[in-house]
Amino acid sequence: MSHVGVAKLELDLEVFTGPFDLLLTLVLREEVDLLELQLAEVVLAYLDHLEARGELDLETATEFIVLIAALLELKSRLMLIGEQDDELDIEPEAAAEELLARMLDARRYRAAAAHLGELLAAEHGVRFRAAPLPASLRRTVIAPAGGSQDPQVLGEAIGRLLSMPPEIDLRHVAVPRVAVGERLALLRGLLRRGAFSFEEAVRGADRMTVAVTLFALLELYKRGEADWEQGQSFGEIAVHAPTTHAPSGPVALAGGSGGSTRSLGGLAG
Amino acid sequence: MSAVPVEAPALARTVEALLFLSSDPLSIEELSEATQAGEGPVTAALTLLSEQHAPGRSGITLRELGGGWTFASDPAAEDAARRLFSRPRASTLTPAQAETLAIVAYLQPISRPEIARIRGVSADSAVATLLDRGLIDEAGHSQFGAVIYRTSTHFLKLFGLRTLDELPDVARWDPTPEEQAELRERLLKAGEARAS
Repeated sequence: MSHVGVAKLELDLEVFTGPFDLLLTLVLREEVDLLELQLAEVVLAYLDHLEARGELDLETATEFIVLIAALLELKSRLMLIGEQDDELDIEPEAAAEELLARMLDARRYRAAAAHLGELLAAEHGVRFRAAPLPASLRRTVIAPAGGSQDPQVLGEAIGRLLSMPPEIDLRHVAVPRVAVGERLALLRGLLRRGAFSFEEAVRGADRMTVAVTLFALLELYKRGEADWEQGQSFGEIAVHAPTTHAPSGPVALAGGSGGSTRSLGGLAG
Repeated sequence: MSAVPVEAPALARTVEALLFLSSDPLSIEELSEATQAGEGPVTAALTLLSEQHAPGRSGITLRELGGGWTFASDPAAEDAARRLFSRPRASTLTPAQAETLAIVAYLQPISRPEIARIRGVSADSAVATLLDRGLIDEAGHSQFGAVIYRTSTHFLKLFGLRTLDELPDVARWDPTPEEQAELRERLLKAGEARAS
C-alpha cells in the first residue's frame, strides 16, 4: 500500500493539515476524530489534485476510492452508536468466518467443476443431430423476410454525404481593398503642400490603410521623393520632401510599379 | 415386451421419425401431441425404440437428456465422425470455465457479480465463452439490473443429464468438520499475524 500518488495528496482541512497517508494513520490511531472529519473535503481536495495534474491515473484513483470508501464505512458505523459495540466486538471473528464461508464456497464449486469435467469426459464421442428441420415441417416460415426497407434509402443517405456542398457565396461581404497607387497619390499630394506628419496622412483610416500607406511612404523614400524623421519610438513621424531635390525633378507617376530608374536620383541626394 | 400394446410398432416408427427430424430433445408431451397418441403409448413406443437402439445394436442410441428424448451417435463412431467433419466435438473446458459453469449449474439463476464473488476473481471471459458455446443462456435481469444466467438444454445434452436434479448434491464436496476447523484455525492465525 505504498503508492506514491494518493499517499502524498496534501490536505488542508478544518481538523487536519498534511498528507493523506498521515491522516489515515491518525484516524486509525484515533488521534483524529473521524466524526469531526469532513470526508467530502478530502474528496474535493482529491478532485482539485486531479484537475491540477490534468490526467487520471487509474491505479491511484482506484486506491483513493477504496480508501475513502473504507473511511466512509468506518464513519457511518461510528455514527450508528447503537450497533457500534456488537459490530466491533465480533469483527475479527466475523471476518474470519465470512472468509471461511467464501473459501468453502469456492472449494465446493471447484470440486463440482471437476465433477462436470468427468461427466463431459464420459460423454466423449456422443454427437447429436444439429440439422434444422426441413422447411416443409417448420411451423413458422423462416425464409428470408422480404426487404422491409428500401435499399434506395441507404443509397440516398450516403449520396447526400458524398456530394460536395455548394460553394458559399461571399459576394455580399465587403473586402477592404487599398491600392498602393492610391496611397502614393495621396502622399504626393500632401508632399506638394509641404511637410506633414504620418498621422495626418492616415487620420481616421483602418489598419489595412495605415499599413499600405506605410508601404507607399517607403516607396517614396526609395525613389527619393520623401524623407522622414521620428524623434522617439512611437512618436510622430514627420514627412517632408528631401532636403536636396532630386535632379530629375517631380516625376509624379501614378502607380507604384516599375520606377527603379527614378529612385537612383533620390539615392544620390 | 409383453406390456407393449399391439399398435406400438406403428407408433414407434412415427416417434422414431419425429426424433430423427428434430435436433432438440422431444418431451413425451410434445411427442404425444404430435402423434395424437396418449402419453402411455408414447412411453411404450420409446421403450421399444430404446431396445432397438440399445448400445451395440445400432450406430444411433436413444438418450433421455435435457428434458426429453433425442438420438445421439454411438461414441464408437467418434473417430470416423471426426475424420468426416474435421471439426472436433465440443472441446474440454478450462478450469475457469468449468468452475463458472458449475456455479451457474448449481446456483442458477445467478448474475455475473455473484459468480465473481464466489470465485474470488472476475468471471467475464469465462461467462462470455460459455455463452458463446451455448452452455449457458441469459435469463433476464436481477433486481439490481445485472444480467442473470442459467444453463441451457445444450448443457444437459452435452453432459448427459436428463434434468438438473441429476447433479449430485453440492454438499458432498464440503470438507469434513475437522478440515473446516483446521482451515478456520489457519485463517485466524494469519489474521493475528497481520494485526501484530
